[in-house]
Amino acid sequence: MSRKPSSTVRSLVATLAGAGSVWLLFLPSPAAGQAAKALTPSYVAPRTPDGQPDIQGIYARVGVGGLAVEARESNGPHGAENPLDATKDNPLSVSERSDGLRNIPKGFNVGGVPLAGPAPAEKRRIGIVDPANKELPWKPEEEKKRREFLAKTNPAAGLRYVEFDARCALPGLFLNQGPFEFIQPEKEVVMISEYSHFTRTVHLDGRPHLNSAIRLFMGDSVGRWEGNTLIVDTTNFNQYGSFSREIPYLSDALHTTERFTIADQNNIDYEVTIDDPKLFTKPWKTAGLFRRTKKGYEIMEYACAEGSLTLENIFGKPPERQ
Amino acid sequence: MTKLIGYWNLAALAAILLLTQIPGGAQNLHRLADGKPDFNGIWEALNTAAWDIQDHTGQLGVPPGLGVVEGNEIPYQASALAKKKENFANRAKADLTESKCYLAGVPRITYMPYPFQIEQSTKAIAFTYEFDHALRVIHMDGQHPDPDSFPDTWMGDSRGHWEGDTLVVDSRNFNDQTWFDHAGNFHSEALHVVERYSLTDSGHINYEATIEDPKVFTKPWKISMPLYRRMEKSARLLEYECGFYLQEEQYRDAPFKK
Repeated sequence: MSRKPSSTVRSLVATLAGAGSVWLLFLPSPAAGQAAKALTPSYVAPRTPDGQPDIQGIYARVGVGGLAVEARESNGPHGAENPLDATKDNPLSVSERSDGLRNIPKGFNVGGVPLAGPAPAEKRRIGIVDPANKELPWKPEEEKKRREFLAKTNPAAGLRYVEFDARCALPGLFLNQGPFEFIQPEKEVVMISEYSHFTRTVHLDGRPHLNSAIRLFMGDSVGRWEGNTLIVDTTNFNQYGSFSREIPYLSDALHTTERFTIADQNNIDYEVTIDDPKLFTKPWKTAGLFRRTKKGYEIMEYACAEGSLTLENIFGKPPERQ
Repeated sequence: MTKLIGYWNLAALAAILLLTQIPGGAQNLHRLADGKPDFNGIWEALNTAAWDIQDHTGQLGVPPGLGVVEGNEIPYQASALAKKKENFANRAKADLTESKCYLAGVPRITYMPYPFQIEQSTKAIAFTYEFDHALRVIHMDGQHPDPDSFPDTWMGDSRGHWEGDTLVVDSRNFNDQTWFDHAGNFHSEALHVVERYSLTDSGHINYEATIEDPKVFTKPWKISMPLYRRMEKSARLLEYECGFYLQEEQYRDAPFKK
């Protein structure tokens, strides 16, 4: 019986691409402050048998706030040097990366997700949209702690200083680029991510959040529909959430409010409010866009931890367990 | 006259066969708008197959149990049986699901001692498992990819179809890294699993899996077990992040001297 290493293309490539690549694919946008109006305001989404607007399908996502934060720090106060024009086809394409960061080899699905089109008619809000100047409202003492933390990340001074992404941990926030599949059983919206093969279930049956003693990487999500917009309220996060390389941790006080607005048959506007009163003086928001993939596109297996040598490469071999 | 009795016997036999095909109460099942039985919910096996799919006595850390293999014997080829025994001897390290928290494969993920969730709409079906947040999207159309031009996987490529009220899931394209249990029962990358999910009432699924692997077994064999709906009003899938917990333990004192 051969003992091949994990040969799932995506897991292999994920290892090659290394830590943080998922975040780094997102390009920042100068479109801050642009209103998140529906592409076709009159668009009425079809309904599921239980009367929900039908949000089902497989999507890839264009842009989110992660890199915008990093660009703000590396490219000037407003981080607008790498605008992402969401009207272009295949906006996740590797060839559009102008930041000189890691290249993603061809074959990694994210580099070429076939989209159903048509492209949105106008630019979407992508990246940090509140505050308008993209300056995050850090508490001064927390900003200092964060910088001290970041100084210990390369090389990592210990396990806590390795990005969770590189450890194949559940990502916490719903910010990766996908692809995702949305399924709608009765009174639920289930969101499946190929990356890290995680599933979120948004409960629409009016149940309360879990007791605060239960802590989850992905939090506990309840939601409701307002017109074409699914509003998801998530609490019960553990202390292992992170946003990006530049925001390496969030606290267990994190509370997110997400808005998924069905803009037309192929596009969903996304906005998330990050409310973490332990770290920030006020909530802030970032936005992105989901685009439907071409018919026939399928979610595949993304095995991350299997065969990963990341920690061993960073720290050396751990002693044998007793 | 004898002919007539013969016909009646045939008719009775047909009726009995029909009844065994459609388990009692199946007509009262909750159904989706497309008429398919509703499998949505949180489910869990209640047996010891994750430790050993065959009949076994208790040991320290191993609950005793009746096996789930039809006839109890697994038709190993001679060399494969030797490998199984070797696996058993080395199981503490060689069972990657337990030693490294790797994905458990199919059908083992079904009877790991953790709940799983079936997500079903009229458009799609997926299974999510609490252990390792494992995921199987059950593709209800399309075909298995060509294994020669496609990477193998831990959880297989799963294609589903309906046979009456039974959800049949055909899975291929596995790697050879997973086991059927902690007792060393194994397969090659030629594994082919056909699972049958049938609701016997709203709280129970009759689960069967036919296992075929011409490189390891002399013929196909079958396991079966009931799956139980988690009835708690607040039942929902939580997280058992096995790999993360293991990292926290193994690398607590990192970096290590080289």
